[in-house]
Amino acid sequence: MSVKIENKNGLTVFYVEGEIDINSAPAIKKSFDKLLSARTPKIIVNLSKVSYVDSSGLATLVEILKNMRSYGGRLRLTNLSAKIKSLFEITKLEKLFEIMPDEAEAISTFV
Amino acid sequence: MPRLDPLAFLRNPRSKKVITVPSETRYIRKVSDRILSSIEVLGLDDGKIFDIKLCIEEAVRNAIVHGNHSDRRRSVRVTYGVEDSRLTIEVEDEGIGFDHRTVADPTAQAHIMKNSGRGVYLIRKLMDRTDYNDIGNKITMVKNL
Repeated sequence: MSVKIENKNGLTVFYVEGEIDINSAPAIKKSFDKLLSARTPKIIVNLSKVSYVDSSGLATLVEILKNMRSYGGRLRLTNLSAKIKSLFEITKLEKLFEIMPDEAEAISTFV
Repeated sequence: MPRLDPLAFLRNPRSKKVITVPSETRYIRKVSDRILSSIEVLGLDDGKIFDIKLCIEEAVRNAIVHGNHSDRRRSVRVTYGVEDSRLTIEVEDEGIGFDHRTVADPTAQAHIMKNSGRGVYLIRKLMDRTDYNDIGNKITMVKNL
């Protein structure tokens, strides 16, 4: 699993590559900590290169969302594979997160 | 010359495979890798493989973390086999068990942010059948192939 953070149009885009599971989820959270400490107002997480997410991965994303909401931040998830999107649907987390099909749209409409 | 059936050992209920691992999370992937490589010859679609992998890993994780409290002196025993186009996987820990009926619905408004019970819930949704033994330290999962 690897992560990359880029700034695009004044927005923070967080790229994850690999699997988000019980073993890699703590590293994702750690990579996010700096952004959360800085109270980054808007973050897009691009999951196009994520092939697998387990309940620990979902829990980590929920924790990040909770943290961002605590200071009024907003989080968008983009480019989910059909299978990973179905996990958000089954667990009803799709109602909690702003999930968008692609990064470009998420950036252009993030007002 | 008779053709060898690479899945014969899985189809014979008497030759179910057993994997026993210590209670450390680094073994979760080893269990799912071994089971998935055993059934690779079935040529299952990616979606089914994803579901099976996820359910194995959720069940083994629960057994390690909640059942055995990550005590590496305790083992998790995984038994699996294929019969009549059904994959059956049993995951048993050495803990005192739990009552799966008392696990809160993780999709309910009051619990959705709490991050507990989601693994058990996913197994129930993604497998075709899920059973627990009486004390709740063994889960049996069945997936139609």
